[in-house]
Amino acid sequence: MIEKYNILSPDFERDAPRELTLLSIISQSFFQPFSLEDNLLVILTALTSGSGVGFNRAMLFLKRGDLLKGEMWLGPRSAEEAGLIWEVLSTPGIGYVEIVEHNRALVNKNADTLSARLKGLVYAANNESAHIPAYAASHKEILHVRDAANELLVDRRFLNIIGVDEFLCVPLLARDDIVGEIILDNAITRTPISPSDIKLAGICGLMAGNYIHSATLHRRVIDMEKMAAMGEMAMFVTHQLRNPVVAIGGFTDQLLKPDVTEEKRSRNLTIIRDEIQRLENIIYQMGHFLKVSMKEPVFFDPGPVIASVLESPQIQARARDFVMSARVEPCPPEILCDPTSFGEVLRNLLDNAFDATPAGGTISVRGFLRKPGEFVLSVRDTGRGMTNPDKEQIFKAFFTTKETGMGLGLPFIKRVMDNCGGKIEVQSRVGRGTVFKLTFNSRERESTP
Amino acid sequence: MKKKILLVEDERPLCLLYEEELSREGYEITAVTNAEAALAALRTTIFDLIVTDIRMPGKNGIELITEIMGLRKDIPIIINSAFQSYKEDFMTWAADAYVVKSSSLDELKAKIKSLIGE
Repeated sequence: MIEKYNILSPDFERDAPRELTLLSIISQSFFQPFSLEDNLLVILTALTSGSGVGFNRAMLFLKRGDLLKGEMWLGPRSAEEAGLIWEVLSTPGIGYVEIVEHNRALVNKNADTLSARLKGLVYAANNESAHIPAYAASHKEILHVRDAANELLVDRRFLNIIGVDEFLCVPLLARDDIVGEIILDNAITRTPISPSDIKLAGICGLMAGNYIHSATLHRRVIDMEKMAAMGEMAMFVTHQLRNPVVAIGGFTDQLLKPDVTEEKRSRNLTIIRDEIQRLENIIYQMGHFLKVSMKEPVFFDPGPVIASVLESPQIQARARDFVMSARVEPCPPEILCDPTSFGEVLRNLLDNAFDATPAGGTISVRGFLRKPGEFVLSVRDTGRGMTNPDKEQIFKAFFTTKETGMGLGLPFIKRVMDNCGGKIEVQSRVGRGTVFKLTFNSRERESTP
Repeated sequence: MKKKILLVEDERPLCLLYEEELSREGYEITAVTNAEAALAALRTTIFDLIVTDIRMPGKNGIELITEIMGLRKDIPIIINSAFQSYKEDFMTWAADAYVVKSSSLDELKAKIKSLIGE
């Protein structure tokens, strides 16, 4: 016998051990598309919710550079507010998503009270002679402070803000580094902090530390990828712009010389005009690629769109030099895509086919249902084909094998297909030709009454 | 006798511009628009210098230089490219100079002069 369980939402009984519930809340939140801040809020929530560790308030410090800065303080400001919050949180069936939303509102509401007071608190993160709370982070130790007013090691300013005699400092560690610190207390209930509370808070601290560490690394990787893509783009654009600019400048210089014949003057002006047109085209394409935002895909009949592209004057004009063959199922199913983008996709594929194929070659467009739910649009040419290394790069922006191409057509097609959940297949042989097959999700047409 | 230069440039307007401007300096120019045509020309003619672009359809300028090294190691080569960022690398590609394309051809002309004279 085999039994299946859902990884993401284990269904614990209400009397499940609180350690289990706590771990479940935190680990589930890491799977959600939450921001770093939201996930930190989940950790604070887990530490303060009744089904979690059950502290009254949780305060978060994060390490920024060499400083430990107060960021967030979650908890009620008074016994009345606590009563209200705990009532909400103990509503049967409330999930952690609702709890996080509730707490996000609470943190925002308290922005001018609890969190605002905390924001002014900044300590040196690695100062070994620091006072509490920074002491816990710099010594990498959990500190349980009681009778704080008489403890010389406690920072007086901090004591004024937290306003309680007993609290727990939990440094957030990632490998050997400190990434922050959480301070917990029971300001409302005045319940003493127990050894098991401390152990659980310690586990939360380890999870939070490692989460912050990996989230920061992930953010850095994304930034680096963006920078690399930007660099590549800048390099390509510079190259594309420089060639026409050099031609315009060079031919203009020739015009300025005294011995220019009328014939040369007219030729140079024609070249200059053409190159300016080319510059305009580059600027247009760049702008188009950067600004195109993907629209929501919808189900529609692809037949009329395919026909209108094939019959458009621009395509007809170019098609004259080739043997064109178009065969689309007479009654195709409805496909899922944005109709305007779909038309542009076909136009782009045809333009590529025209560019790659010598005059007299054959270009075939096919539209057919491969199997229920999968409609294929294919464009095949008998052109020069691509090598395998080129094939791997064609969907990268600014990669092109054409003399004047910008390398933005296929990346655009990929964006459209990603956006509608479709697939692209490319088969190509050097000297034989290329076929692009796009697979769209489809459904039977709604029958017309 | 005029010094012979092989010019490899895929952009037709630029090819024409360089051809005219370098001829005016007194060189004999053979202008081609791709690496294959350049290799064919090298098999039949002895050139004093090669000026090549990097980014071209088919074989690029670096692949072309590698093949030229197999044919004739002694010809000076100038890379004339729109890519500014490759400038530091030209020595590793066995070129003798690297000129970033500019509407003023002064730098290119000066580099040619320093390598093969007038």
